[in-house]
Amino acid sequence: MTRYYLHLHNRIGSVPDDEGAEIQNLDAAHEIAIASIRDILGEEVKKGRLDLFGRIDIADADGEILRVVPFSAAVELRLDEVKS
Amino acid sequence: MIERYLLKLRARAEVSAEEEVALRSAVSETRTFPPDHVFVRRGQVLSHSTLLLDGLLCRFKDLSNGQRQITELHVAGDFADLHSFTLKRLDHNLMTMTPCSVALVPHTRIAEIVRAHPRLGRLFWFSTNLDAAIHREWTLSLGRRSAISRMANLFCELQVRLHIVGLADQAGYDLPITQEELAECLGLTAVHVNRTIKELRDRNLVDFRGGRVRLIDLDGVQQIADFDPAYLYLDDAQLEQ
Repeated sequence: MTRYYLHLHNRIGSVPDDEGAEIQNLDAAHEIAIASIRDILGEEVKKGRLDLFGRIDIADADGEILRVVPFSAAVELRLDEVKS
Repeated sequence: MIERYLLKLRARAEVSAEEEVALRSAVSETRTFPPDHVFVRRGQVLSHSTLLLDGLLCRFKDLSNGQRQITELHVAGDFADLHSFTLKRLDHNLMTMTPCSVALVPHTRIAEIVRAHPRLGRLFWFSTNLDAAIHREWTLSLGRRSAISRMANLFCELQVRLHIVGLADQAGYDLPITQEELAECLGLTAVHVNRTIKELRDRNLVDFRGGRVRLIDLDGVQQIADFDPAYLYLDDAQLEQ
């Protein structure tokens, strides 16, 4: 287990993670970042807004950013119509 | 030892000196547990109930994929699993969130109390009904409140419940839990919780950090929470009828 910090950045601003969480590995932290983005976007969609400008930076205890997960990586966005 | 429990009872009903003696003598032993310790597991057969003397604990249920939903927080003075007196096995788990000191009350003694003091029996019944009312409010929050309103409602609820037992005032209270644990109460991810905390702070309503809830604008928090303390039944419980 390693302590990872998931820092959120979007159009509104930045939300640094001061607490961190013990997570198995970087891939597991990536999965948590994806779930977090979906959770946040879901809340916004209920208010009628979907803004994919944003990202979660996964950092270690030294503050080094190990991976960047853009909001767009968390959802499959389809705007095309169904062809009949 | 059970002072906070008596404070909680007396916030709603009178407890006579004789009843107090009966309650005090119900405790068979006390134990201390470290944080994050599951001390009652779902399905485990129980012969005693747990009264929380000091600390913070939770009830939770979980899915096979490990996702956990905390369904209620218990503060000092809560007779946390009085439910097991009638259920014998719980459908959920009880876990400490901080170091906890608990009193164990054998079910046999609860049975004796209920026989000898029917009024205390009604008080026990009231207490589990109160837990059910809290669960209903959490259901309303999880189903219908926005993330910010849901978090604000929990902060308001805990202010009232901790105030009864002398652990909160208008300015705030200690809440030494992580954002991850708060997320498990609110059905959110920890990142979403972090963002929601920041929003409450930026709006000058409440600040949660370092294990403390600072109520900057209690009226404002209650407003955004759509908080109505009626479900905590702080008026006379009318147990004399």
